[in-house]
Amino acid sequence: MVKDARPSRADYYHALAKALPADALVVTALGNASYLWAAIHHVPENFYIEDSMGLALPLALGLALAQPARPVLVVEGDGGTLMHMGALVTVGAVRPKNLTILLVANGVHAASGGQKLTNAGLDFAELARAAGIRRAKNLSTPNELAANLKSAHEGPQVLVLSTAPDIEVVRPPIAFDPVLAKQRFMSAIEAPRYIPTLFGGGRLEREGGTQRKP
Amino acid sequence: MQARKPSASHRPSQILDTLKRLGFGVAVAVPDSWLGEILVRIEREKSMQLVRATHEEEALAIACGARLGGVRTAMFVQNAGLLSMGSGMVTLAQRYQFPLLILVSYRGTPEDPVFYHVAKGRATEPVLRGLGVAFACADRSRPIGPQVETAATFAEEASSPFALLLSQEDVRW
Repeated sequence: MVKDARPSRADYYHALAKALPADALVVTALGNASYLWAAIHHVPENFYIEDSMGLALPLALGLALAQPARPVLVVEGDGGTLMHMGALVTVGAVRPKNLTILLVANGVHAASGGQKLTNAGLDFAELARAAGIRRAKNLSTPNELAANLKSAHEGPQVLVLSTAPDIEVVRPPIAFDPVLAKQRFMSAIEAPRYIPTLFGGGRLEREGGTQRKP
Repeated sequence: MQARKPSASHRPSQILDTLKRLGFGVAVAVPDSWLGEILVRIEREKSMQLVRATHEEEALAIACGARLGGVRTAMFVQNAGLLSMGSGMVTLAQRYQFPLLILVSYRGTPEDPVFYHVAKGRATEPVLRGLGVAFACADRSRPIGPQVETAATFAEEASSPFALLLSQEDVRW
């Protein structure tokens, strides 16, 4: 059997964990994109998506707009990107400087068992550029990933990671409770919380009672 | 020439004023003919950022991300978009309990009998019930601002999306 010469998702993830910018927020797509990242680098500033194929990228776009001072990285697959390719166009129109898209290109739908993509031969960096994202590169080594993360504030950027498929599901070391993941994340970034009308609220306020400026 | 200020009873202005007063910082939209102008007005607001998405399910995810980041977020879509965002609604917005205000141009009702909208009008409320999305039809006999505020409050207090179905005079500038 011929071994796939491409780096594994784990190779890239170890490089990502070492080179992750300070204050980075990381959104991961369904399947091993989330499970393996939780196994390698679980921190409250991770937001794991369990299903919702194709929606990690647009969710990260919204997060990048809401948190413009923090680098936002999203790990999305090639299959997920194809499912909502319009999101690349929206990113290209909005152009948030703090958004980095790590596009794991393994040529298959890994999370559902390794079925072939509709077109595995697409040049995703070229697609991203055509969508208005000027900084888009095809990478083939973890070292290149680490080097390109130094410019995570000069985005948006798309880094296409040529990756060997990982079909076997990784068991995450933490509970994947969606509401817990959301609350943990929002608490870690000190997001303002909603004060119920019963307590004279009806608004989002920061801890200590400071109302968020619109 | 100075633009004429809308009257106090201008319902689309009431919607915009209410969103500003409640601190909405982001609006995510996929337009239709009724929504076109209110989106232009939102784009002119310094306190709000408008994101024009390519698809309503994508818009839903952008809105979830903005709310995750701590910004109150509204969506503007046609009811066709409610029909096409079902998977994201169930697996993301509802499963993760994101409070989202969804303002919907409600096409194809008996008052909007356009032949290609009617099928969407017929399906909208049953689909919302099937998805378990809380919703209300705006009452044109009452001011729209308080109805938007009640819908926004419901979304936050219930930690869930809430769809307010709007008529042409509610939302068309």
